[in-house]
Parts: sequence; structure tokens; C-alpha cells
Amino acid sequence: MSETVLDKEPKILVIATHACSYPGIDNAGQGHLEYPASVFVIRVPDPVLFPVDFYLKVFEMGYDGILIASCGTDSPYKKSYEKLSKRIDEVYKAMKEKGIDISRLKLTAICTVCAEHYVKEVREMYEKLKAMKAQAS
Amino acid sequence: MSQRTQENEEPRVGVFVCHCGGNISDVVDVEKVAKTISKDPRVKYATHFMFMCSDPGQNMVAEKIKELKLNRVIVAACSPKLHELTFRKVVAKSGLNPYFYEHVNIREQDSWVHSHEPEKATEKAIRLIEGAIERLTRQNPLKPGKKKTVPHALVIGGGVAGLTAALELARRDIPVTLVEKSPFLGGRVTQIDNIYPTGEDGKDLVDDLIQKVLKNDLITVRTNTEVVDASGSIGDYQVTLKITPRGVEEDVEGLDKAIEICPISVDNEFDYGTTKRKAIYKPYPKAVPNLPAIDWNTCTRCGECLKATNNKGINLNPEFKEDTIRVGAVVMATGFKPYEPLPGEYGYGEDPNVITLPQLIRIMENMDPNSKEFIYNGRKIKKIAFIHCVGSRQIEGVHTPKEGKELNTYCSRVCCSTTLWAANRLKKRFPDIHMFDLYRDIRTYQFYEDIYEEASRNNVVFVKFPDEEIPQVKIVKDDKGLFRIETTDILLRGKTVAVPADLVVLAVGIEPNPIRDLIEIFSIPYGSGGFLLEGHPKLRPVESSMEGIFLAGTAQAPMSIQETIIAATAAAGKAATILTKPEIELSPFVASVNLDKCEGTGRCVQECEYNAIELKEANGGKKAVIDPSLCAGCGACVPVCPNRAITLEGYDIDQILAQVEGMLKGVKAE
Amino acid sequence: MEKFDAVIVGGGIAGMQAALDLGDQGYKVLLLEKQASIGGTMIQLSKVFPTLDCASCITTPKMSAVSSHENITLWTLAEPKKIEPNGDRFKVTVFQKARYVNEKDCTGCGECEQACPVIIYDDGYDESLGPTKAVGVPFATAMPQKAVLHDDYCIFCGKCARACPTDAIDFTQRDKEIEVDAGTVILATGFLQTPTIKEEYGGGRFKNVITGKQMDRILAPTSPFGGVYRPGDGKIPDSIAFVQCAGSRDKSIGVPYCSAVCCMYAIKQATLLSAALPLADITIYYMDIRTFGKGHEEFYEQAKAMGVNFVRGKVAKIKEKEDGNLIVRVETFGEDGRIEEFEHDLVVLSLGLVPQWYPKGIVNVDIDETTKFIKLIKPMTDPTLTSMPGIFVAGTAGGPKDIVESIISGSAAAMKAAEWLNGKLRDAFFAKELDVKQVTN
Ligand SMILES: Cc1cc2nc3c(=O)[nH]c(=O)nc-3n(C[C@H](O)[C@H](O)[C@H](O)COP(=O)(O)OP(=O)(O)OC[C@H]3O[C@@H](n4cnc5c(N)ncnc54)[C@H](O)[C@@H]3O)c2cc1C
Ligand code: SF4
Ligand code: SF4
Repeated sequence: MSETVLDKEPKILVIATHACSYPGIDNAGQGHLEYPASVFVIRVPDPVLFPVDFYLKVFEMGYDGILIASCGTDSPYKKSYEKLSKRIDEVYKAMKEKGIDISRLKLTAICTVCAEHYVKEVREMYEKLKAMKAQAS
Repeated sequence: MSQRTQENEEPRVGVFVCHCGGNISDVVDVEKVAKTISKDPRVKYATHFMFMCSDPGQNMVAEKIKELKLNRVIVAACSPKLHELTFRKVVAKSGLNPYFYEHVNIREQDSWVHSHEPEKATEKAIRLIEGAIERLTRQNPLKPGKKKTVPHALVIGGGVAGLTAALELARRDIPVTLVEKSPFLGGRVTQIDNIYPTGEDGKDLVDDLIQKVLKNDLITVRTNTEVVDASGSIGDYQVTLKITPRGVEEDVEGLDKAIEICPISVDNEFDYGTTKRKAIYKPYPKAVPNLPAIDWNTCTRCGECLKATNNKGINLNPEFKEDTIRVGAVVMATGFKPYEPLPGEYGYGEDPNVITLPQLIRIMENMDPNSKEFIYNGRKIKKIAFIHCVGSRQIEGVHTPKEGKELNTYCSRVCCSTTLWAANRLKKRFPDIHMFDLYRDIRTYQFYEDIYEEASRNNVVFVKFPDEEIPQVKIVKDDKGLFRIETTDILLRGKTVAVPADLVVLAVGIEPNPIRDLIEIFSIPYGSGGFLLEGHPKLRPVESSMEGIFLAGTAQAPMSIQETIIAATAAAGKAATILTKPEIELSPFVASVNLDKCEGTGRCVQECEYNAIELKEANGGKKAVIDPSLCAGCGACVPVCPNRAITLEGYDIDQILAQVEGMLKGVKAE
Repeated sequence: MEKFDAVIVGGGIAGMQAALDLGDQGYKVLLLEKQASIGGTMIQLSKVFPTLDCASCITTPKMSAVSSHENITLWTLAEPKKIEPNGDRFKVTVFQKARYVNEKDCTGCGECEQACPVIIYDDGYDESLGPTKAVGVPFATAMPQKAVLHDDYCIFCGKCARACPTDAIDFTQRDKEIEVDAGTVILATGFLQTPTIKEEYGGGRFKNVITGKQMDRILAPTSPFGGVYRPGDGKIPDSIAFVQCAGSRDKSIGVPYCSAVCCMYAIKQATLLSAALPLADITIYYMDIRTFGKGHEEFYEQAKAMGVNFVRGKVAKIKEKEDGNLIVRVETFGEDGRIEEFEHDLVVLSLGLVPQWYPKGIVNVDIDETTKFIKLIKPMTDPTLTSMPGIFVAGTAGGPKDIVESIISGSAAAMKAAEWLNGKLRDAFFAKELDVKQVTN
């Protein structure tokens, strides 16, 4: 099989929410803002759904980074952000134990009109991961 | 085709890639996408088409399902926000489970954001679709539950929006409870004695509505009442109301006297602080309900008022009560408050002759009707300067936000017309008055242009100041006026002018009433400026994305009275669509328990913020049981179960992992 | 006489919304649309402000929901000839133009259009910018997807009939009149742009002076030009001017009011243009920028930041040069007001909105004397009521509105119609009111 244009790129999984960040990411599209193509978005009601091992599995699979685009404190679900932040602390702990660079995971909040903020976040992560990749090889 | 058999069948996936008339296909090589994806052995059909959402597009999906016995469908097109539902319907009509459908976003999240990298965008589209295939082929057929609706609506807010919504719902035979936080009905419109563009007294307009509401048997009106808690969801909410006693319990003799002798005097919010009122008060003579009320925040319970009524009718130590009601839908009609300028903003607070437009309107109503002169604060007002866009259209670096708040970047829509309407009225009353209008743009849209025209005929002097320059209000004390306002005038090709004035009127904007508590209780999304957010501006303009919650009036955006009433009528209509039916279909995306795995640890019960989970005796042990109509679908319970017995339907972790892996691997074109 | 709960006149976004709301609540609706397809103005537009969603993406699902709804009957090429009260109901006489195509047989394949030798430029879907034929499916997303034959252009050569694979062309069809019975009527007959009669702006004769709607067509994904070119000579414009209030706020043309949407659509078009032609100069000549709706001011600020040039001044005159370029004479205001001239190679007139339909002779509702829109008899408390009890107005038929407002008013009119149908609103009009009850607390 031949190599494809995205194969070498650092891959980022974005976990987006129905209420806030998914429309926010759409908003970046409506504004025709540009960001790297190796960013893949999944859409869930709330990232609080995922257990710690989910994140570890995603890294094992081969993703370079995970960006959690949560609703932050604007989450439509009660107390979910509190719970999510706690969970992510646990994930960081587990990453450290496994020797995974913790800057490969980031929890952020993206609102429905936070298009520019979103683009900045993914670009930043992309550049960081790219540098990391270059160093490693 | 029964949905049972679908489950066990070998997946036969159909993939439809949309051009979106070039929006996608100008960047993404749609043909290559379709070709490559068809290499996946599960894909039995893959194609691309100009507009998938059009009728021919939809028909094609239906036909191919039939012809090729497809049992899973993927459309790669615009955002699922727009058309996921459209295609679910098509899939359902073709006899498949509607959730055997995945919508892949290759426009907003692909072609539009990678327009300079067509090759990458094309590959991304392929990978996204491949991920969707992995997830979809593992998906279970979801079956939404049904729920009985409580045929009763709650309307929050007793202004024109709330009154209208209540009345419209009752006319559709739906019982309504209308709650108003303050002791009196009518809201802001009662504070305007002359409304544009008809010139009627706002109190009459509101009173007409109130009378109709009061005459309607299906409407229960509760003033001095607040929503303090709620549980449940669309179709069936249990709402806890806190009822503040009125203090005045009966219409007895001496109540007017009681108001007179009450020793407590505070700023009268009805007159925006331009007058005082007592702790026992009534905002205007015809206020409804017509009994005075006691303001418990300022009442000292000194008992003076009781002397005037012979110890009758007034209860200074009443009980604060709570009550619970069940409703199927909620209309949010909580209205607005005028922007309160910052101390010193255009001299506000530094000199009493700098006032806001709502204050001016109150002053005009309270003025001696026979006075030939406009006297304010002992000064004869000969020149008035209006300044527009105060607290609206704010620009970063030019305006200062309030502490802890963001700038109000929006236009408040009604202040231009309100200002010029007031100017025209002043001119009529005091023909000698000189008026200056300092504005950025005059926004007397639609037929309100008449008001602007009349103001021009009335010789109002218009001064257009630049967006980035704030006019400087200087207090001077000479015979020309009390103030001199220095500003650039674009109409005079950018010359600096000095506008004299005895009274400065700030055309303040509209802010939503602070309703953080309600926003939290009902989990309602809100947007810029704190205004409640609609589900979609064109698809769901009067509905919140929180199902069962409807938006009416200025809680959602600045609006005129006419626009508020149209919105309230529309919101009532949407609520009626739910409440006139005996049941609603529930979201299928709720948590469910695998009873074989559940060991009854109860961790999930603690985790659920919606009280949707209970431990019950089942299968010979305590097991978690979830009420799908209470489950909000957040998934918080999923990760806490030590046995992984809970799945959020539609968001099974293993299915998502398969999708995520599918996106990573993609399908390679040889 | 066929019986319906409601007859809705006009299948634009407002009429469609009203039909869907009533249909969803179980009422039987007849929707009459004068054109061969529903969709109104919105289906012609490129993207829509302030979110810049693609107009077609919002409209087509509504169009297809209307046509597949079990409670909605759709008649295209149909308009009311007479609407009369009939007891407490209405008798509606519908005039339906012949399609000359058998709707049942037509598959919308377009073979007839290929075969037709008559090329026309009419003010239909493409606003006379692109060619159509005397027969064919009106446009790609038309609903119904059925061909229509225009008898005023057809030369009756029969080529289409021979080309049609299903023999659907039927020259024997005739216009007809059908009477129906309705419980209530909603008028959603929409608007037209102000005609380009102003002599100062060329009276419609300058090739590179186009209308707002034409600009939207040019910018649409389904653009008749396939990109942004000027109509005169196909040149890519590099200096584009918008003239605001070109057909509004002007007593001399009978449109004294502000049309409320033209500022926003000009800003939208300017935004789309600056993305399509990043090097072009884009200037908007305006008196006041009226971006008063939700999210509109932010949209305006964004356009400024993108480099769209906003110049305050009234355009007094437009002159055409030999090369097709235009000289725009602008008056600035005030004591030192100057007159300046600027050259542009494409000028867009941001025309206003005038009513599309005059009810006179058809139905006895009052119209507003100055504006000519259908008169709202209770503009403040019941803004969908006309002077005839039981007849309601939705969308721009009652005054200028944007799409969101048109949709909301469509829903509001549907609600009032439902109240009328269950008798409650009628009671409120005519019956004695009951006693006032006590308010709890
Ligand atoms: C150039 C331009 C750009 C615009 N851009 C935007 C934008 O980006 N965003 C936005 O929000 N708004 C925009 N608007 C405004 C928007 O077009 C209107 O708000 C909206 O189309 C009004 O819908 P309507 O249903 O009231 O009227 P219409 O769309 O005019 O629909 C009326 C329908 O009634 C039919 N009809 C008329 N008379 C009869 C009759 N006698 N019998 C049967 N049928 C009849 C007509 O054929 C038509 O289908 C724009 C307007 C213009 C001119
Ligand atoms: S309506 Fe007029 S005064 Fe009010 S914010 Fe808008 S432009 Fe400013
Ligand atoms: S919306 Fe703007 S362009 Fe249109 S009439 Fe009003 S001010 Fe003029």
C-alpha cells in the first residue's frame, strides 16, 4: 500500500460536545478558518462519558494527541465539568506512569462561537506534536 | 423488514457523498472518496451527488436501500446539525432503524477548513467515512421510548411575552401556570406611557392582555412566585415554586393611608430611581393584582402600616411557602433590564442631569401635565442631548466592560426608535426645546423610519460620531447649558463640535434579566450577552436546544413589543405541538444497564445528578434501574461502574474506539 | 368542494413554515404557490446572514418536508382568484395554470429541456442572468422536481414531447379554476425587490449595475456564471460598489420605509465577495448601517475587519462609461458636504422590499395606504391579524422581514390559525367575556 498525504502528519483526536464545541468547530468552518487536516473530531454529549483507559487506548492506537473540547462550566449537564476535570487528572497520572508525555492531552473549553479559539488550540497542539515527532525520529 | 433481523444480518453499507453544489466538491475529490471507500468489503454501494439533501438525493438513498438491500447508510455532507434528521427520516421511511445511519461532516469540518489542501481534505473525508463504517456496523438498533406528556405549561415571566404565551396556550385548551417573580404583572411595558409606533399607553396595552388572561379559566396566575428547583424533562417536569407572601392579604380600608405613613422610603424601581417609594407599595394605581405588596427586603416590620388599617388586612409575619407543580413544557419569558451605565460613563452618576432614556420616559409621565416648561432638578431644560448606543455596540479598546462581564457587542435594536419617539413627544409638548441627537447609525428600521423623518422635521440636530470615539461630556455651568459634549461630527466631515445641553439622556441598551438560577435549574444554553440561545436561528428559532424549553421575547434577544408578541405566539405554538399530543417520543440516547454485569454497587446512583438511577430488586439481587425519561444522557455514570455494566446508548465506548481506530487507519487507495 | 382546515397562499419560507406547523398539529392544509416550485426567495439565495449557512441547505429540507407531509396538499402554479367568507368558513376559488406536463409521469430527467430550441432569459430563478428554456425543471432543487412548459415562450414545435421518455408532455392541458372550502386562510405572499426605475441609477439599463438578488445568484453555489463575473462582459470585477437604500427610504419612488434586510444582505454579499475575490476593492455607500438583529452587529464588525470599505454618503447618480465601468457620484452630508466621484466596475443596488401581491379584487383585507403591505389591524398585540377575522398574514407579506423573522411569524400565524379553527379565537373576537378571577397571591 502506498503512503498517503496524512500518514506522516501528527494525528489529533478532538472530542467535541453536541451543545458547545461541535457547533463551535462548525463555526470555524463557516468562517473558512484553516487548520491542519490531520485533526479528527468525534461528537459526544459530554466527554465525562469516557473512562481513563479510553484515553490510554487512543494513544496506544497511534494518535499523537487528544484535545478535549468540552463545554467547560457551561456544560448543559449538571456538575459534569467538575467530574471531567477530576477524570483528566487521573488520566494524567496514568500517562505519567506509562511514560506518555502529558502535553499530548489537553482539556479545554470551546463555546459555540469560539471558532478562533478552537483553531488556535488545534494549531498549537499540532505544532507541538510535530516538533515532538521530529525529535523522536 | 423487522428490526430484529437487521441486527443479525451481515452489514451492507451504502455511502453517499455530497458535492453541496461545489461547497464540498471544489476541495474534496468526491469521486475519489466514493471510489476508495467502495474498496471496503462492507460497502455495497458508494456514490457522489450534487445535493444529497434535495429530493432526488433523498430519493436516491431510499431507492438504493431497496434495490441493494442496504442496511446501513452513511451520508457525507454538511454538518449533522443541518441534515442528520433529514436522512434519519429517509432511512426510517425505508424500513430501517433510523439509527443505522451515520452523518459524516465533510463540509464545515473538512472542505471549508482545508480548502488549500485538497489532497489532504480528500483523504480526511475517506478516513472520517471509514471511522463511521466501523462504528455503524457495530451499532445496535436504537429504540426510543415513549413518555406521557403532562398537558400543562409553565410560563415564567408576567410581561407581554409571558402574558401572550399563556393566553395563546390556553386558547389551544392547554392549562397554564404563569409565574411572575415580582408582586405585579405587566413587566417593562407598564413603565412606558406612550409606546412607539402607535402612541398607546403601555399600561392599557398590558391591561387588556392581563384582563384576558385573568378571564381565562385555564390560566393560573401566581405573582411573587419564583421557580427554585425543577426535575424531570420534556413532557414531565416537577417544578418547585417559592411563593413570597404579599403581606397585604385583603383589600381593607386604609391601605392608601398605610402606604402614606410607612416610614421606609427607598428608590422606586418602577421609576428607575427617579422617585421614591415605600416598603409597602403599588407601582401605579391600576397595577394588577391591585393590592399593594410589601417589599420584605426593606420592611422593618415596625407595624406603622397596621395602624392605618386598624390591624386588618396586613400580615407582617406571614409564612413563605413552597409548592410543586407538574408541567410538560416551559416557556421562558423573563425579559430584559435596561443597561445601567458605569459610574462616570458620559457623566452618569456625577451629575443628576445625566439620565438614562428609561428614566426620561418615567420623568415625562410623572411631570405635571399642565406645566408649560420642562423643569428638572430645579433647572429649566432648554437643550437636551441624546447619546445613542450606551451599553450597546461596544468595541474592544474603546468601551469598558462591567466587572466580570464581557462587552455588549450587540445592537439593542429598540433604542434608536425609542429615543426619537421621545424626542418627538418632547417637541410636541415643549415646542421651544432644542434637541441634539448624537448617534452612530440611526436604526429606525422597517416602518419606524417615520419616526426618524418626524424627528428631522422637528429640527432635531443630528450629530454622527465615529464608532471608535466616545463623545466627552463635560460639566460646565454657563448660560448656554449645564454640559458641553465634545465630539467629532462625521456629518460635518469630521469637524469637532461642542454640543450644549441642560439634560443629557443616555439611550441605554437592553440586557437580559439576570436569570442564572433558572439557566442552571433548567440547563438552558445561553450565548453572547447572556441572552438565551435558540436551538438553531432558522430551524428552531423559538426553541432552546434543551428540549421542552421555549423562548419568548427579550430573554432571547433585543426585540420590540410587536416582535416580542410574535415570538411569544410562535413559542406557544411550538409548545402546543408537544402538549396537544398524549405522548412524546424520548431520546434514544440514554444510559442502559446490562443486568448480567451489574452487581448493584450503587456507584452510578451517586454519580447521577438527575436522580435517574435507582437500585431495585431484580434477577435475584439489587440492580441499577434507569428511568429513561429522567436520564439526561450525559454518560457520567458510564465510567464509574467497576463492571462496565452501563452503556450510553448510541455512544458505546467500544464502538467509539472502533470509529477512532477506523479514522486512524482509513482505507488506502492502492 | 374539497375541504381543508387551512389554505395558505404562498410557498416561500413563511408559508412553508406555517404549513408545516399546522400539518404537524394534525390540521389539513392546502398550500398554494404561484410559481412552478415552492421555496420563494430563499431558495434563490447564496448563503444567509448572519450565520452564513447555505440558503439551499436550510430551505430544501423544508421544501421536501412540505411535499412529503401527510397533512399538506401542495398545488403549484396556483393562486387564489377569490377568497370569500362562507358562513364561518371561507370559499377559495383557485386559479391553476396549465403545466403542460403530466406531473405523475414526469421524472424530472430534463430531456425536454435539452430538446427545446427556445432560449429565454426571464426574471425567474436566475434573475435573468442565465438562460432557461421554454420547458424544463425550474431549477436543480425545485420542488416538485417536475418540468413545466411556459406557453408564453413555447413555439409548439413538439421537440420536447418527442424527447420525453415517459410521454409526460401534454399540450391539451388547460388552465383551470377549482373551488375549495377552508376554515382559515394565511396570506404569505412575500415580497418583490423595488423595481429599478430610478433614472439616476440608469433605470435598469446599465449592464454592470445589478440588483441585490442578482448578486446573490452570482454568489450562489448554483451561480449561473459559475463564479463572480460581471454580466456586461464577463470580466472579473476588481472594484465593486454597493448602493444602500437604493430602493427604500425614498418617497419619490413610493417606498418611504426602510426595508430592514438590505444592509445585512449587502454586508453578507461583501463578505462573500471578499472571500471569492480577495484582491477586489469592495465599497458600501450607506446612510446608516442597520444591523440590529441578533448577531448582526458582530457580522458588520467582522466585515469591517475583513477590509470592506464603508463610506457614508448618498449616491446621487450613476453614469455608465463606454468600457462598461461606472462612475458613482456620492454626496456627503452637512455644511461642507462635497460631491465626489468614484469609478467601479460593478455596482450592486441594494434594493428594498415591496409587496408581491395586491389582494384587491381577490380578498377584502385592508392594505396599508402608504406602504401597500397587508395591513396589520392589531400591530402591537396581535401582529398576524388582518382586517378580516379568520385571515392571517405571515412573513414579508405584512412588512419587510429577514428569514428568521419570517419563519417566526409563519409559526405565529399558524398558532393563531389553529386557535381560530378550534373556535377559541373566534370566541375572543365575538363572545362575551367571563368574570375576572382572583390571582393566586
Ligand atoms: C437580495 C436579497 C438577499 C437576502 N438575503 C437574506 C439573508 O441572507 N438572510 C436573511 O435572513 N434574509 C435575507 N433576505 C430576506 C429574505 O429573502 C426574506 O426574509 C424571505 O425570503 C421572506 O420570505 P417570505 O416567505 O415572506 O416571502 P417570499 O420568499 O417572497 O415567498 C413568497 C411566496 O409566495 C408566492 N406567491 C406570491 N403571490 C402569490 C399568490 N397570489 N398566490 C400564490 N403564491 C403566491 C411567491 O411565488 C413566493 O413563492 C434577502 C433578501 C434579498 C432581496
Ligand atoms: S438601536 Fe440604535 S441606539 Fe440602540 S444600540 Fe442599536 S444603533 Fe445604538
Ligand atoms: S436596511 Fe439599510 S439599506 Fe435597507 S433601507 Fe434600511 S437602511 Fe437602507
